Amino acid sequence: MFKNEEMEINMGPQHPSTHGVLRLKLRLDGEIVKHCRPVIGYLHRGVEKICENKTFFQGQVWTDRMDYTSAVANNLGWAEAIEKLFGITVPRRAQYIRTMLNEFNRLASHLIWLATHGLDIGAMTVFLYTFREREAILDIFEAFCGSRLTTTAFRIGGLREDLPPGFEKLVRDFLAKFPDCVNEYETLLTENRIWKKRTIGVGLLGAEDAIAMGITGPVLRAAGVAYDIRKAFPYAAYAEMDFEVPTRPEGDTYARYLVRLAEMRQSARIIQQCIDGLPEGPVMAKLPKILKSEVNEVYHPTECPKGELGYYLVGEKGSTNPYRFHVRAPGFINLQALPMMVEGGLVADVIATIGTLDVVLGEIDR
Amino acid sequence: MNPAPAMTLAQTSLMAIFQAVAVVIFIFIVVPLTTFAERKVLGYLQDRLGATRVAGHRIGLTGALNRGMWKLGKVPFLSALRGLPMFIGDIIKLLVKEDIIPDKADRAIFIIAPALSMIASVVVFAAISFYPGALFTFPKAFPVLGGLPFTGFITDMNVGLLFILGIASVGVYGIVLGAWASNSKYPLLGGLRSAAQIVSYEVPLTLSLLAPVILTGTLNFNEMTRKLATEMPLVAMPLLVVSFLLYLTCGFAETNRMPFDMPEAENELVAGFHTEYSGMKFGFFYLAEYINMIVVSALATSFFLGGPFLLPFGLHKFVMHVPYLGAPNAIWFVLKIIFLLFTFIWVRGTIPRYRYDQIMSVAWKYLIPFTLIVVVVASVIHYAA
Repeated sequence: MFKNEEMEINMGPQHPSTHGVLRLKLRLDGEIVKHCRPVIGYLHRGVEKICENKTFFQGQVWTDRMDYTSAVANNLGWAEAIEKLFGITVPRRAQYIRTMLNEFNRLASHLIWLATHGLDIGAMTVFLYTFREREAILDIFEAFCGSRLTTTAFRIGGLREDLPPGFEKLVRDFLAKFPDCVNEYETLLTENRIWKKRTIGVGLLGAEDAIAMGITGPVLRAAGVAYDIRKAFPYAAYAEMDFEVPTRPEGDTYARYLVRLAEMRQSARIIQQCIDGLPEGPVMAKLPKILKSEVNEVYHPTECPKGELGYYLVGEKGSTNPYRFHVRAPGFINLQALPMMVEGGLVADVIATIGTLDVVLGEIDR
Repeated sequence: MNPAPAMTLAQTSLMAIFQAVAVVIFIFIVVPLTTFAERKVLGYLQDRLGATRVAGHRIGLTGALNRGMWKLGKVPFLSALRGLPMFIGDIIKLLVKEDIIPDKADRAIFIIAPALSMIASVVVFAAISFYPGALFTFPKAFPVLGGLPFTGFITDMNVGLLFILGIASVGVYGIVLGAWASNSKYPLLGGLRSAAQIVSYEVPLTLSLLAPVILTGTLNFNEMTRKLATEMPLVAMPLLVVSFLLYLTCGFAETNRMPFDMPEAENELVAGFHTEYSGMKFGFFYLAEYINMIVVSALATSFFLGGPFLLPFGLHKFVMHVPYLGAPNAIWFVLKIIFLLFTFIWVRGTIPRYRYDQIMSVAWKYLIPFTLIVVVVASVIHYAA
């Protein structure tokens, strides 16, 4: 009469909080998750294969559409990987502008993360507060390149155009109000008892496991490992910037929340340095009209908001497009940790953990 | 307050029907206004405008005023009311939407469940008193009811509180049966959660109402309201405040509102127990939730905020003899309900959701012991006074 049966349940691909089309096969014993397997591929478009059939200049458009919340960071990785492949030196002014926009993108991405993560846990007001600031950032992108989400912001060798008039004012206005905005989110969440109850000790991921699985980005730093590619292998103008890499030892959802908030403050600091120390000069290197590669290969890691975004490119002699292209997408690799983090926990913790991993399915499925 | 004049059976039934219709009209005015207020208040909390689209731009009063004032270069003062007609759209949408019953569902129970929820929450109003006395008297010329008072309550039963708690606890059957009858996984989880949650929170809810019962020594709704507002010793005030807060907390849980909206935790269980419901069947669950909010607010108002009396917690005796302010007034009652409804929305906009196990531990580990202490202290005060 009383049989103990486990219930198999599909969370997603259509579900309010699986951040797109992530599908989780869960086996539940009551409310406890016994088994969790992510099923991905619902948004697969074959970006890597498509890019192998596009010229080096055209491929960047596709990187926008991988992690659509951090298009600028994706563009930066692509442009720098190809510059590395051809040995192009980018002017210093362009480097600074790239760094600044990349940090703006980090803010935009983290703001979306905070919005959706808060909404998943039920704090709906912070959602609209963060979107208010994200709006200002998107306006800055729009002023720079005319596009808000899929930016295609950079060109190989630098930038297409210099900063538009009035851009500096936009940035300074934003910087003047942004720290207060972060404080505002903190008053809503950081010391909120319910927020702490829902996040402390939830989705634990220790440093050893994280390193073994190749986890990067804020998830790794919240496990106490101060690994940030901006410091470890500086690119763009990061070598000249003064900033800290925030870490927390706990490795739970609350720690990841604190790390990302601290990162937002550091990003604002980097932007401040970029706009204050912006050098004069050209923004574009001298390039041939058509880029033809040699037999060559390059792996270029960048610290995108989600973690280590690596582009692996192989060139072919005399070809205008890459022979082989592979993306090391941080979301894809971070998602591996999900089963380990949620098994044995409750259903509600699955939601909190998906939110804290900050997955974007456009990048995971590519 | 005067004993009702003797009435014939026909008069009693007719009067009851009139009053019931009045209450239903009240509910169907307040619920849409609450949904509108929810949109607007959340909008202001979240730095946006809330509902503005259905505004009667062309034909409505606000539309005409808006146009005129924009022309004068001023922000229209009625612009806050834009979006008010939206509730008509809501109702039409719920009524005309296709009503789907899943193939595998248990048809009979699937249909009964929303009605059960709705009925349980509406019937409670039979024992709620808006005003202890006659609101108006029927004119002599009125057939059958001529000369009789139209009271601010439907029945004045001597176990009013017991009746309310009994009927209100039936509401959970609607949720659980609806969830089971859907024969689907997410509703099942939602139903299980709500069964556990509502049953757990009924205990502290009832216990927190026990303190006023002990202090007043009656279960009659009107008597309790009057005694709590006018006759309580000042010593009892802190106790009543604590018990009010406890009651309100449990009330949030009973109505499945944030931060206790487990049964329908949108981000976990899609829509919880009513995932498979659509059209007006869903509308009934939705209405029931809002009516429950009004019921909880009405009870909190009557017992802890003084109901139709101006000041709560026994403070009213100081203004008893002030003209106008001293007399009970249905307006105070409605205003206090509105304030509590605002609190419901305010809390929703401010704090996140508890986890299921945490909700249960809040009920059993904190609320129930607390309410028991309150009951003991209330008894001590009652015998000491």
